[in-house]
Amino acid sequence: MNAKQAHLNDTGAEVPQSEIDSRVDQLIRRTLDRNIPGLANLPQTESELEVGSSPKDLVYTEETARLYHYTPMSDEVYRVPILIVMSPVAKGYILDLAKGQSFVEYFLRRGHDVYMLDWLAPRANQKHLGFSHYALELVGNCVDKVAADSGEPDITLVGYCMGGILSACYTALHPEGPVKNLACFTTPINSEGMILHKRWVSSSNFDIDRLVNELGNIPSELINATMQALRPLQRNAGHLNLLNNVDNDEFVKAHLRFDRWAVDQLALPGEFARDWTNDFLRDNLFVQNKLELAGERVDFGNITVPFLHVAASFDHIIPEAASKDLINMVSSEDKEEIVVRGGHVSLVAGGNAMYRLWPKLDAWASERAE
Amino acid sequence: MTDEKDLDPLRLMRDWFVQSEKMWSDAMSEMMADERVAKTSGRFMQEALHTQRMFSESMGQYLSNMNMPSRTDILDLKDRVSQMEDSLNQVLVELRALRAEKATAEDDPAPRKKPARTRKAPKKSD
Repeated sequence: MNAKQAHLNDTGAEVPQSEIDSRVDQLIRRTLDRNIPGLANLPQTESELEVGSSPKDLVYTEETARLYHYTPMSDEVYRVPILIVMSPVAKGYILDLAKGQSFVEYFLRRGHDVYMLDWLAPRANQKHLGFSHYALELVGNCVDKVAADSGEPDITLVGYCMGGILSACYTALHPEGPVKNLACFTTPINSEGMILHKRWVSSSNFDIDRLVNELGNIPSELINATMQALRPLQRNAGHLNLLNNVDNDEFVKAHLRFDRWAVDQLALPGEFARDWTNDFLRDNLFVQNKLELAGERVDFGNITVPFLHVAASFDHIIPEAASKDLINMVSSEDKEEIVVRGGHVSLVAGGNAMYRLWPKLDAWASERAE
Repeated sequence: MTDEKDLDPLRLMRDWFVQSEKMWSDAMSEMMADERVAKTSGRFMQEALHTQRMFSESMGQYLSNMNMPSRTDILDLKDRVSQMEDSLNQVLVELRALRAEKATAEDDPAPRKKPARTRKAPKKSD
């Protein structure tokens, strides 16, 4: 027996199959019409997705370090220049994504003199550059260069992620200056808070020496994979969210800029990776004040300058648990911690950062920049 | 009236995935943090390194016989190009320093004006 199922409308009247077919057809057409023209908004080339657009000059170059000075945007600037130290695995353009969405541009417009220490991927013959070399030589030389270029004896050091720990180590070993203020964003200090990475490298099967000896430098693909593994489906969700907003040109461009940066990691010198794995992830020396750089013990208690720490409550790369100890370790009387709602990247870029964090940072830095 | 977007089945599916992504990601991360997974991935990495070495050695020999560049040759070339970029950057840095010196010289007709470092922080309003 052929049972024919009747489709009834709200009033109980039967709806003919042809009308149902027509409605389904309309729905499919509307969905396609809405989404496909939106795809025209996708930038076709990388140049259409310009990043790092604030004008800048190259001031100093040494091995993997590039020191840039951004062209001031006001006739009168604060006396103390700001030096931003990026993470050696992240490109600096996240802080200068696009006009109107740039941390750097915001600070320039607010009257700060801004320098940035950005990094390049190491070449094969730079695999021997270790953590100590980065913290003492490369950061140190750039600090000196900023002082010489600006003509000021003081600087405000701002470190992002691993750049934060490099800045903190440098400041701890140079309490006499020239660092006048120190701000660290989401800075890894306690590896117990980085559960997944700690578990991986603590496994007896993980041989960092063999990895470094075989590869020389740790490729960016491997670094990217370890970052993505911390939240494996986030990027897929981001892509689906992009489709939901594909008719919004600004959303599409902002999303693609973020997405480009998120997978645009830098390779890390093998020796740096070895130091990071052994001294930080395995032995957790930072938080115990036991790290030694060039024969000198790094005691974060030596930091007495005004200190600001910024963490993000949903940061899955450097969770709050991995960074929260730093503020208690420094001896500064003038110290403050800001925990914002957001993730590792939205902490410094994006709407939340623009309207909440940047003004706070500007206020903090400008009060201490005269 | 029902929003047209609510009727889009693909959007509903995407919304569901976006909203539940963190839960799935957390579950996967928790699984990856397991000691057995850590051991397996460590072993996998050792094996991958060994395989890569064997493969690149044999392939390198093969490519050399064919008079073709290997990946190592290409990476060497990339390093050479990046060394040239470094040299150019050094020249740029020197040029900038020279320009700055010239700007401070008295006979410079168009000195590059530096902003005054006299800005004061706005007073806090109570």
